Amino acid sequence: MPSAGNSVAATPAGAATSDFGRVLAQRERRFATLLLAPAFLALLVTTTFPLLFLVYTSAYRIDLAMPFANGFVGFENYAVLLQDSRFWQSLVISMVYTISTVILQVVIGIALALFVMDMKRGQGWFRLIAILPVVLSPAVVGMIWRTFMLAPEFGIVDYLAINAGLGSKNWLGDPTLAMVSVVVIHTWQWTPFAFMVLLASLAALPDDIYEAARIDRASAWQRFRRITLPLLRPAIVMVIIMRTMVALTAFAAIFTVTGGGPGTATEILNLYAYRKSFTELSIGYGSALAVALLIVTIIISAILFAIRRSK
Amino acid sequence: MKSYKPTRRTFLKTTTAAAALIGFGPAVLRQASAQDADLKPYQSAKINWRQAEGESITVAVIPASYFDNLISLEPQFKALTGINLRFEKIPPAQIRQKSVIDLTSKTGTYATHAADPMYYSLYAANKWVDQLDTYLNDASLTDKGWFNADDIFAAWRGANSVDGKLYGMPYDGEVTIQVYRKDLYQAKGLKAADTLEDYMKNAAAVHAPNDRIWGAALRGVAGAGQNMYIYPSLFREFGGEWFKGGKLVVNGAEAEAALAYYVDLMRKYAPNAASNWNWPDIADAFSQGTLGSYLDAHSSASVVNNPDKSKVIGKVAYARWPKGPTGKRVSSIWNWGFPINAAQSEKKKKATWLFIQWAASAETQARTAHKFAGPTKRSGANRASVWKDAEYVKLLNGFGDDFVKVAMEALQNDTDVDWRPRVPQWPAIGDTMATAIQSALSGQNSVKAALDDAQKRIEPMMRG
Repeated sequence: MPSAGNSVAATPAGAATSDFGRVLAQRERRFATLLLAPAFLALLVTTTFPLLFLVYTSAYRIDLAMPFANGFVGFENYAVLLQDSRFWQSLVISMVYTISTVILQVVIGIALALFVMDMKRGQGWFRLIAILPVVLSPAVVGMIWRTFMLAPEFGIVDYLAINAGLGSKNWLGDPTLAMVSVVVIHTWQWTPFAFMVLLASLAALPDDIYEAARIDRASAWQRFRRITLPLLRPAIVMVIIMRTMVALTAFAAIFTVTGGGPGTATEILNLYAYRKSFTELSIGYGSALAVALLIVTIIISAILFAIRRSK
Repeated sequence: MKSYKPTRRTFLKTTTAAAALIGFGPAVLRQASAQDADLKPYQSAKINWRQAEGESITVAVIPASYFDNLISLEPQFKALTGINLRFEKIPPAQIRQKSVIDLTSKTGTYATHAADPMYYSLYAANKWVDQLDTYLNDASLTDKGWFNADDIFAAWRGANSVDGKLYGMPYDGEVTIQVYRKDLYQAKGLKAADTLEDYMKNAAAVHAPNDRIWGAALRGVAGAGQNMYIYPSLFREFGGEWFKGGKLVVNGAEAEAALAYYVDLMRKYAPNAASNWNWPDIADAFSQGTLGSYLDAHSSASVVNNPDKSKVIGKVAYARWPKGPTGKRVSSIWNWGFPINAAQSEKKKKATWLFIQWAASAETQARTAHKFAGPTKRSGANRASVWKDAEYVKLLNGFGDDFVKVAMEALQNDTDVDWRPRVPQWPAIGDTMATAIQSALSGQNSVKAALDDAQKRIEPMMRG
């Protein structure tokens, strides 16, 4: 906003007009503030305040089951958290979930983008179909996979598995398979996003470099390794950053598909915080878990942004 | 003073209105008198039903036919009391959280809600709901003789009481029983299981997965109201005590034996997917003829007898829970009750109580059960007198052999108030146990490790 004011203030010719200019600039600034205020206030009320309140809550013991024990506890919730094996377990599950889904999305996304770039016909159709999973709500995706795709005997995936000679599997009832299933579901839904971004930047790459490479008899692999990948790097890093943040805070799909189960096999940190707060009604400790997740997300994003800036 | 001089317009208006009244009057009167007959059984109660006239209350219920039947009677309640009644349907998985949020924020959004009996300890500890005895004993609010609270099953009233004080009025409930295919059992010369050991043997005998028949199934999906609805019966039958020396203990030899039985039965004789099944899935599988037996709520009988879906009508029989090694049979004590939200004005509380009294009364119970006009009648009436009504018995015995006898015996002999640990921390304990049970069922953990881990997690929850 100040830039608008400066541009006005930069025009004065004499002393009198300079005074006038200052008044004008001030007015402009005031007007800008006025315009900004509603959005700023809305942001303050809907994000900053709840966030601060969350941190505040995490310093209290708020246990609906034992109201008499409630009160300020300082960092006790965090001390308990560091000793809580289920917290560490859910953090590990969150990490496994995030890393595996992001890698799969980027790899499959690049492969699809390269494949579609070479398509002579039907590119538009392919793009249209590919984008469909992204527009679905994760909760709906969860329900579809739970009932339609993974249900033993009747689900499509299980039917394919039986026909492939693997036999009927308990996709969501076995701890390892359940983890694989939720990773696959997330990848299925969000790879198109990576694919669309990478396809767009692939289309923007200059042709002449490839021509030069071909003249130098570079193989397809060399062209990909030495030209495509380095040029795509900014887009890939961006996709990784965005997908990591979303994967770390994923909730709806896992909640509807497994609810964190079987046992705690797919209980990511987010789900654990939810369970603690709203099922077990320990709101203080649940808030501490949510703050921990926030800190983890911030650290990881900071690292990724640092990597992005480094080269 | 102004003298009244009718203009042409008012004259026309008045005549039209008069003509309309003459024309439709009898119809209006007829309807009114029909309503009078509807209201007669209620008006014999010696209370003023209209004392909270004009109040509006909202009641949260779950989407289920037994509440739909009640909702359809709302016009009668309005005519009787003049209270505006609004129902809000919330799925069972969310109703507990929503009502807790409402109660803790003291907004009084829901005057009453369909409450889980295990939550009354929590409600009472926070003084979120009123004691119902105050209302029951107030002669201006309750005609004790007419309402006859003692007629309502004692087990359900007990389940809704904390330290002997009633907090929620049972509206609809259920007991868990054994449901089995008599044709399959007869073909193998089997009888309904008397003990858990027999139950396992019966499951083994009819188990033939290659012919798409599995021996038995129990709820496997994690949840305080799912697998933690079945496991407590096993735990108690194996001799488990929730409280040892005032301390909540969930592990130990009895617990391990009970959970091992659960895991064994599910692994050997239940379909693979059953570890993620809730009762509707089990009832569906049973009605498709793929299950030999299951242990679950008696109310699931209406699903396995649904003429549109079921392939096993006429082949279903019932028996009580099999006895455990201790010789005890332990059924569930489940009922949806109505508490009174304490965060309301006195007049609203009166309106709420009138609603509760109306809904739990013998007349409304009958009108939502055998006297209900629609196709889905209830099977969970809250009173012994309704269960003895010949029409009700006839309706329920249509579900299969011995249905009413078994359900009544289970209700009267097999219910156990300490079936689950009744403490304010139940939501946390229920969830922790449900997760532990599922981790054992799915093989993520051994039985012992799952229970020991649950114990480790539950201990700090109980510390004040």
